[in-house]
Amino acid sequence: MKRLLPCIALLALASVPMWLKDPYLLNAFVTTGIFIIAAMSLNLLLGYTGQLSLAHVAFFGIGAYTSALVALGFDVELVGGIRVVHEPWPVWLGFVIAILVSGVCGYIVGKLSFRVRGAYFVIVTISFAEVVRLVALNWVELTQGPLALTSIPPLTLGLPGLGYFDFFSKQSNFYLVLGVVALSYVIINRLVNSRIGRAMVALKENEWLAVSVGIDVTRYLVLAAVVSAAIAGAAGSLYAHYLKIIDPDVFLFLYTVTMVIMVITGGKGTLAGPIVGGLIFGFIPVVARSFASPELQWILYGLFMILIVFLLPQGIVPAIEKWFGVGEEPREPGATKPKLQDVP
Amino acid sequence: MAKHSTRYFTAIAATALLSAGLVGQAGAQTIKIGVNEPLTGPFAASGTYVVNGAKIAADEINAKGGVLGKKIELVIEDNKSNPTEAAAVAEKLITADKVPVIMGAWGSSLTLAVMPKLMEYKVPMVVETSSSGKITTSGNPYIFRISPPSSVEAAAFKNILPKMSVKKADFLVINNDWGRGAAEDFGKTMKADNVQIGLVETMDQSAQDMSAQLSKIKSTDSDTIMVTTAVEQLTLLLKQATALGIKKQIITTGGSQNPDQLIDQAGVAANGTFHLTTFAPWYPDDTPNPVATKYFLGEWKKRGFNFAGATESFRGYDGIRTIAVAIEKAGKAEPEAITKALWETELMGLNGKIKFEKQGPAGKESGQSMPNVYLIKVDNAKVVLPKL
Amino acid sequence: MTEYLQHMINMLILGSTYALLGIGLTLIFGIMRIVNFAHGELYVFGAYFVYFVAVLLGFNFFLSLLFAILAGCLLGALIEVALLRPMRGADIDTTMLIMIGAMIVMQNTEQYVWGGVAKSVSTPFPETPLVIGDFSVSWLRLFVFFAALALIAAAYFLINRTKLGKAMRATFQDRDTAALMGVNIQAIYMATFAIGSSLAAAAGALLGPVYVISPQMGNIASLKAFAVVILGGLGSIGGATIGGFILAFAEEMGAGYVSSGYRDAMGFLLIIAVLLFKPTGLFARSERVG
Repeated sequence: MKRLLPCIALLALASVPMWLKDPYLLNAFVTTGIFIIAAMSLNLLLGYTGQLSLAHVAFFGIGAYTSALVALGFDVELVGGIRVVHEPWPVWLGFVIAILVSGVCGYIVGKLSFRVRGAYFVIVTISFAEVVRLVALNWVELTQGPLALTSIPPLTLGLPGLGYFDFFSKQSNFYLVLGVVALSYVIINRLVNSRIGRAMVALKENEWLAVSVGIDVTRYLVLAAVVSAAIAGAAGSLYAHYLKIIDPDVFLFLYTVTMVIMVITGGKGTLAGPIVGGLIFGFIPVVARSFASPELQWILYGLFMILIVFLLPQGIVPAIEKWFGVGEEPREPGATKPKLQDVP
Repeated sequence: MAKHSTRYFTAIAATALLSAGLVGQAGAQTIKIGVNEPLTGPFAASGTYVVNGAKIAADEINAKGGVLGKKIELVIEDNKSNPTEAAAVAEKLITADKVPVIMGAWGSSLTLAVMPKLMEYKVPMVVETSSSGKITTSGNPYIFRISPPSSVEAAAFKNILPKMSVKKADFLVINNDWGRGAAEDFGKTMKADNVQIGLVETMDQSAQDMSAQLSKIKSTDSDTIMVTTAVEQLTLLLKQATALGIKKQIITTGGSQNPDQLIDQAGVAANGTFHLTTFAPWYPDDTPNPVATKYFLGEWKKRGFNFAGATESFRGYDGIRTIAVAIEKAGKAEPEAITKALWETELMGLNGKIKFEKQGPAGKESGQSMPNVYLIKVDNAKVVLPKL
Repeated sequence: MTEYLQHMINMLILGSTYALLGIGLTLIFGIMRIVNFAHGELYVFGAYFVYFVAVLLGFNFFLSLLFAILAGCLLGALIEVALLRPMRGADIDTTMLIMIGAMIVMQNTEQYVWGGVAKSVSTPFPETPLVIGDFSVSWLRLFVFFAALALIAAAYFLINRTKLGKAMRATFQDRDTAALMGVNIQAIYMATFAIGSSLAAAAGALLGPVYVISPQMGNIASLKAFAVVILGGLGSIGGATIGGFILAFAEEMGAGYVSSGYRDAMGFLLIIAVLLFKPTGLFARSERVG
């Protein structure tokens, strides 16, 4: 059952472009899918290590900018008169480099931020996101700042002997995004079910205890941050090549909020949570648009979010698992877990 | 409780997917025009003004019998001041609502996000506000812009500049494409006229306190401050400049500065400031199209809108009128015919003749109309056309 | 030199308002462990309330300020009872999400009620500034400076010299022991949130007339308040006060002598620097509040 369900869900989703011909809805699926990937990566931190990072949009944006710049090329002069000129490279390389660069940024941010926990950690990660946004806005020579990077080419895949395939149509982008969702799912699944994953969960449940049995807490947290940032970077890269234009708005705080909503309403610490939460909150705006005035759409969105948290504090997926009697042992809704003080 | 709600949500999601596929099948008794504007988020105020102007135009056209014997219908969608949404909204307007032409999308990043969709579906868009140079120079033949990019404004300023006493100017601009573009283009124009350029300072889009930047400018030896930003920030800026005792001449650019709101909200701080604007509703008889201007202002007042909004909303009015003329010329409400017709469209807008000139790479040029630019001055809480 | 001194005057005035924003948040943060994203919206609420009472109803300006502070207090208590009490004991991210929901609802309700066009409030203060030599400062801002200092002092007195404050400090130190000692935890939480909210509303009421009032002004206020709290340390009113001035100092210096584009980055860079050397904030005394 546990193994079968993801496969059925994958098949069901894969069939969507075959019967859904409306490009607007397909577009909503693709953008929602991209944010689901980002939400899955956030879930790795929030759900499995218990650390709420609001810097995720930074990794998403770094991935988007890296990928676009590798594909478009740039010419900047660094401090000390060193001039760096980069000729455009194949787009798929941009995708790979975006993942690497985001991962490295995840390492740096993780190393710094994991000195603190709780509310401090939340604010520190917001600070990182803001600083990165302001750099993207003001380093005009590299990022074009508010003038935006335009004409970003679609992702292409070189198949030896078969020529190139580019992801231009909505259908192909749908499968591309679905593929990355599936891949991220597999990676996160392998990770959390390994020894490393169990260590992460142990330190989420009780960090002092984990330390006392010899788990190197910061190492595991940083590892989670690296993988998480790399996946978020992949999502950002997909975003850049799908939307074909990026500007510092890619660091909108609203995007972080979207990811957090997807994870928590869907069920943090469950593999399917961000996907279920993502599909619901990705499509609420689409549904609300058809009957409500603009402000009312937002008000409904906010109220619905509060309602879900009130009714299902553990998230939708754990509630369903409990309903069908599968999954982990039932937990008390809103139960207090042993928590760390907010000081290291 | 929990069980029921879960089931309920699944039901909503399912219905949504089904019903969304069914919208947009309305009869072809009307001609639809898509309007893609920010109605929530940071640009909500401006987007709402533009939509109000668009509605006045649509009602006026329909009262006169519509276009091609059919009434026009505005399909207005909120792009939430967010590029992702702007692209999604364009997709919806084109594919679900089947609009043959769009007006939008206010901010430059919003417009740039929509542009690939226009290429994909070959649907034209009349750009009413965005100022980024990239919009008309990136080779998108479905773009027709009626608002001036800062280079056009700067070119118009060239004729006014010698009559003003400017020896050295500092710039204080909003940190986006609009502000940075203005600083660059006006800087070039002024340098060519032997005006020295001092500091170029920026302010964040959402900043409310510019005292630090202004203090820095206060201590320079320049005689003029060139300012580009939206009306709210401008109000704050003028108040703060007065509070800091800055005596320099202030000239604002960009055309949405809305002097009435300034006078109303900045009070004495607005006195003595100059503004470059593309629409002068204070002197309808001096505008290029007095009849239309009077009608527009009359309607604006009748609907109870704030007079101050007129300088922003007239672009929505002009945009829809441009589209209507193009549809009439095309003879049918189809994207390809309208794109072609837009090149031949000529009408008198509220700020001068609207006629598209070719810009951008050959073979896939975008259209750019060249509106008039006025210099106005606020004197004793009144808007005057300065005698130069 | 003149420029430098003018920056310093700006810093003092800006810093007092940052401090006012920060102390409300630091109380809620420190005692309730809630990342209150609705803090900025309470600030906006205070600003619109002054507009409503002073401009639309025509009340005296100073009386309107008082009304706005009381209204903020009431709204805060209401939010606590309706949204936070049922979720007592939930994770920090769950309560944060609820406050984000509240933020989205409040911001768009403001837009729905007041429209997106900014409102301004006129004040009894003269528009011509006070000029001393080369320096210049507006009378209104001078009033805001002293009013903010008075409110900060009042909050300090409340926490350190009253019975309620004592109970709040006890709750901050150890909730369970405080409860055993007969402290009504529910009441303390409600009082904390109400006081924090009224301080945010007070900041909005004071600054609304200085700036213009729009539904989006809360976003930046929230960010600044977060920065102040982290610089000062959780739950420390003294820390948040100094944090407010430090943030203002960094911004003034950043805009004046580095680059105005990075003005808003200064505070956050400072946070990252603080984090490297003193992770608990500059003035955190984790064992006590006040």
